[in-house]
Amino acid sequence: MTVSIELIPGRCEGHGVCEAIAPEVFQVDDDGMVHLLPGGDHEDATALAAARSCPVAALRATS
Amino acid sequence: MRRVVVVGGSIAAVTAASWLRVRGFDGTITLLSAEKEQPYTRVPLSKTVLSGEATDASTALPPLDDSVVVRLGTRAVSLDTTARRVNVDNGDPVPYDGLVIATGGRARRLSPPGMSGERVLRTLADCVALREDLTRARTVLVVGAGLLGMEIASTCRTLGLEVTVVDREPPLRRVLGPVLAEVVTDAARKHGVSLRTVPGGVRLVGSRTLEGVDADGELLTADVVVSAVGDVPAVDWLTGSGLCLDRGVVTDSRGRVADHIVAAGDAAVVRGSGRRPHWTNAVEQARVAADALLGEDTSGASLPSYFWTNQFGVEVKVAGEPAGLGEPDQAEAAAGSMLLRWSGGAAATVNHTMPVRKLRQLASAP
Repeated sequence: MTVSIELIPGRCEGHGVCEAIAPEVFQVDDDGMVHLLPGGDHEDATALAAARSCPVAALRATS
Repeated sequence: MRRVVVVGGSIAAVTAASWLRVRGFDGTITLLSAEKEQPYTRVPLSKTVLSGEATDASTALPPLDDSVVVRLGTRAVSLDTTARRVNVDNGDPVPYDGLVIATGGRARRLSPPGMSGERVLRTLADCVALREDLTRARTVLVVGAGLLGMEIASTCRTLGLEVTVVDREPPLRRVLGPVLAEVVTDAARKHGVSLRTVPGGVRLVGSRTLEGVDADGELLTADVVVSAVGDVPAVDWLTGSGLCLDRGVVTDSRGRVADHIVAAGDAAVVRGSGRRPHWTNAVEQARVAADALLGEDTSGASLPSYFWTNQFGVEVKVAGEPAGLGEPDQAEAAAGSMLLRWSGGAAATVNHTMPVRKLRQLASAP
């Protein structure tokens, strides 16, 4: 089973909670929005914990 | 430790369950939530979900992995720390080796028991009920001019309703401090909200049904009255458990309550530093508490707390606690945007783009 984390368009408000937990997968740029870093391990438990921590539910994990 | 029970459906509960797996705990995890919905975020409930712009389903958090047993509609009613069991309202007692208390808070109400008509906003069910009332309303009275009350007022204005907000203190001052509070209050006035400060406080009037709000002798009425006057830690179920309760359940700086028991989020009161009922704090406390349950200490120096609000076209992001620090030492303003810094350990942006990581670093910089 392959898990993929996606950003739901239009929802990110740049609170950076995901980045604080899993900076190897999520990065908030100077535009204030989160970006998924290339090569990040989306199946890693830390990345999934980070995806669940978004206050505006902007991240989706699909398998 | 083979069996961990997480009580609550809050973000602190979800994070604790997630984090135990991150740290390699491979025993059973059972999450007991009194709510009937899968864990969701309450953050949009005062904004896009209340306005109807976003669906109820959009609040759902990504689900916990299949190895976590999530029991919805299951309310913890008491705790037996000797037998190590959580008693619930819909089945057999749930045994644990390790316990996470993350039952959050419930909305504080001003009306006496038995009086109907006072709306509050805490859960998705509260939001649905309030939204339903708003569709038939022309006027709204919001009691409480804190972050939640003012966000509700903002949303009601976007719906075209006539809005009055009443509080004993000027809006937002206690949480944002005078400078930031004034920026947002000014926007609220420009958006046509009537703001009333009643130093003597207010009282809900009515017998079985709410009729209005007594504001220092004047009766205020509206089609909908909604109270946003803070929350009460949901720890009633711990009465008689022997755990130390002081409004919430008392923890140390690592979230530890007693042997094999930790707590995090709005249900927890940290000895010596109290309660910080914000999203980011719940997430961070839950991680530290989960670690503590596994015997690790990760409570080291952390960045200043972070919270935010969106209302009346103003987005405010705050690191640290500027309330009580007075005027900022440093302020940069550009067209419609501001960056503020207090040397006491706080920083804030108003409609200003900056990664929150940098904002928090700025707040803690010497």
